[in-house]
Amino acid sequence: MDNYSIVGKRIPHRDAVEKAKGSAVFTSDIKLNGTLHGKILRSPVPHAQIRNIDISKAQKLKGVKAIITSKDTPQIKFSISPTWADKSILVDKKVRYIGDEIAAVAAVDEEFAEEALELIEVDWEELPAVFDPLEAMQPGAPLLHDAVENNISKTMTMECGSVEEGFAEADLIFEDTFQTQAQSHCSLETHCCIATCSPTDDVKIWVNSQAPHPLRQKLSAALNIDAAKIHVATPFIGGGFGSKIDLEPAQAICVLLAKKTGKPVKIEHSRKEQFMTTRMRHPTISKLKFGVKRDGTIVAKRAEVVIDNGAYNSHGPAVMAYNNVMFSTLYRVKNIKYEGQLVYTNKNWGGACRGYGDPQATFAQEVMMDMIAEGLKMDPIDLRLKNANIPNEITANAVKITSCGLKECLTQAREASGWIAKKAGKKKYRGLGVAAMIYTGGGSIGSGFNYSGATMQMNADGTFHLLMGAVDIGQGSNTILTQMAAEIMAVEPEAISLTTADTDTTFPCMGTFGSRVTFCAGNAVTEAANGLKQQLLENAAEMLEANPDDLEMKAKKIFVKGSPDKAVSYAEIGAASFYKKKKPLVAHGYYNGPEDVSAEFDPATYRGYPAPAMVFGTHLAEVEVDPATGKVEVLNFTAAHDLGRAINPLLVEGQIEGGAVQGIGWSLMEDLQFENGEIVNPNFHDYKMLTIKDIPRITSLLIETIDPNGPFGAKGIGECAMVPTAPAIVNAIYDAVGVRIKELPATSEKIFKGLKDK
Amino acid sequence: MGSKHRIQITVNQEEYDLLVHPDRTLLDLLRYDLGLTGTKEGCDEGDCGACTVIVNGKVVTSCLILAVEVDGAAITTIEGLHQGDELHPIQQAFVDSGAVQCGFCTPGMILTTKALLDEIPDPSEEDIKHYLEGNLCRCTGYTKILDAVNIAIQQLK
Repeated sequence: MDNYSIVGKRIPHRDAVEKAKGSAVFTSDIKLNGTLHGKILRSPVPHAQIRNIDISKAQKLKGVKAIITSKDTPQIKFSISPTWADKSILVDKKVRYIGDEIAAVAAVDEEFAEEALELIEVDWEELPAVFDPLEAMQPGAPLLHDAVENNISKTMTMECGSVEEGFAEADLIFEDTFQTQAQSHCSLETHCCIATCSPTDDVKIWVNSQAPHPLRQKLSAALNIDAAKIHVATPFIGGGFGSKIDLEPAQAICVLLAKKTGKPVKIEHSRKEQFMTTRMRHPTISKLKFGVKRDGTIVAKRAEVVIDNGAYNSHGPAVMAYNNVMFSTLYRVKNIKYEGQLVYTNKNWGGACRGYGDPQATFAQEVMMDMIAEGLKMDPIDLRLKNANIPNEITANAVKITSCGLKECLTQAREASGWIAKKAGKKKYRGLGVAAMIYTGGGSIGSGFNYSGATMQMNADGTFHLLMGAVDIGQGSNTILTQMAAEIMAVEPEAISLTTADTDTTFPCMGTFGSRVTFCAGNAVTEAANGLKQQLLENAAEMLEANPDDLEMKAKKIFVKGSPDKAVSYAEIGAASFYKKKKPLVAHGYYNGPEDVSAEFDPATYRGYPAPAMVFGTHLAEVEVDPATGKVEVLNFTAAHDLGRAINPLLVEGQIEGGAVQGIGWSLMEDLQFENGEIVNPNFHDYKMLTIKDIPRITSLLIETIDPNGPFGAKGIGECAMVPTAPAIVNAIYDAVGVRIKELPATSEKIFKGLKDK
Repeated sequence: MGSKHRIQITVNQEEYDLLVHPDRTLLDLLRYDLGLTGTKEGCDEGDCGACTVIVNGKVVTSCLILAVEVDGAAITTIEGLHQGDELHPIQQAFVDSGAVQCGFCTPGMILTTKALLDEIPDPSEEDIKHYLEGNLCRCTGYTKILDAVNIAIQQLK
């Protein structure tokens, strides 16, 4: 057992005191003199040609300082990558969903800005619209993007081995179709930004972004501004869950309005705008076919998936690739086929959302696994153990697995939940369900980039300053990354001050997504800290006339092992390096991996998916169903996650508990509902997320597999915590009352109907 | 918009004599006129609880109440709980329990807990959940918030 004094300790979030006092400054709390309020005119119709936009009346309104339309915007389209770019900041000819950006206003206050929007006259020609992806794929369906046939933005086929041969050698074949619904991220803080533009055209934007460095690049590309002239700063961020990764048109609009007026401009989404116009979890239809042997061995599996893209690509093409990778890589199966179609509809666009296509894949696969276990009369956990991934193996789809604790997750969740005893003494209307998962534990270099940088310096007084590109959106990266640095420097974490996520002062970081910050930024920080430690030791060695290898660091002092009375303090080293040697101590760390990308890597399908580590998990739910109403109560919930090493168990539990509850919400009630392209529940009253009244007891099991490449052996956890929740719940509902839910959410109505139809 | 109204309120034990528009919400008054930005706006529709403050001992969602309605009232916001560097035991319990992640719901959660414990010093789990039901949190899954409330109950005994 490693003997660490800071790593592995339950240390509260380092910014929790500020947040608990109400003094933490979020973007919306920033007040700059003379700030104008920006508002966006959005399309009220799902599909229309714009004939003309008349801003003359709005321009005459006192208090209006600038109005912009597509004429003021470079018509450069954007998305996750230039290959898939299809969205303009302000549309020029055509709107494609209710909420599409048409024009924007900056005014002295919100009321003037809103009044101005009402005075802008748009001459429309409404077009037929299509909302169902299966209808949108039919010949003759209205086309959203002229050049995209049948509204299919991307098709993808990947086959490993031969599924036909696999099905032929199977004893039993299982086939079924599973559907998932749109989910909204629901971070409590909506999108907000404040932009300024100096007389020398230097732009600064304070913004709640999960990826400030890529945001600078995206703003630069979309607005045709030199990236060096853009400074992105991130105040405290009120949650993200994927919603704050993309370039949001409001951010580019804010910059344009600031440039045009020369004044600070603030744009803040209302909650309704947040629901209606930021990204959402892609709805999916997954048709699966599995071939199995009587002993439970899966010999072939096939998925045919239709993903509802909404009006624009955003992250859609990559979400589909992840849907494939996670479906294909979970379990040791030789013959795999995945066919995916990403289809445009006249609705809000899908994007990155905690799990990135994996919860949809896992729902389908893990409900199917439950059906297979039933068909084979096999225990569902035993079926999974039979097919579970193992450490140090290259999978059939060429994904490299290093550490892997899937079997430990399954067996420890079984034990902690009392699975065997409860199954044996099954009570009426109560049931247990299990589901497994796989995900990346450190992003991926599939795009060519997976970078995180850090710099650590010693100040003249012997204290430390850590600069990192990584952005803490509430998950606690500032806390755990500082813990890693503190462990290496042998100081308390409070002895290290921080600068983070600021494009002018920190090395770039790809951002907070892909469960990558612990791994990637962690490796950058440990490299920087180890480099600085070496410099400290060399300086101390000179001062003590000793060999650096013989030295020990303790209580902010360095001494020859066994001779603590003859020591130099960190303060003395700091002072000597600054004032005497005139060589301040500073070290950098940078990660951009993994290095060993498989020769089989295919950037279209993500076969050979290049993640630095994979993570595994198991969720196990115990539910009770009320037969009179179909209402589900989740009684107990066990979540086992292979996370390499828990740098901070308190914070890891927080990720798992939050993820599980978000997952239970998606399982049972969260459903962004559309009628003719309009979201009918764009508020917290009608879009139901779980409250404190709805939560079960959650037992988190931290499975420490100590990854060989992770910092202190750690891997990511953030997104993973909601990936297997829905199938665990749905399988438990089946165990309780025999109603098999194949379309999420598992509402009371569906279960009640299932009970009546039995 | 109408003419401004004069109101006198006490916020965090400090007295204010203010002229306010009749349509100014208490939330905007606190955030933009008094600079007390610890009170958060999460939905502006009374659904999320991020803007919770205590008015005359009762929790209110400050986005749904007009400033003119609180004339004469005593208001506590999150900035009024701690004494200098010393956190209120409820704030300390939230910090220690890991109940604070992004922190956007935290002021409202803490103030609702304060109102609960002022009224019911030894609440049942049902009481706690009943009071906190109106405060949404997307990060924590509420588990550590329940831990924090239970620790605060012990600390305040």
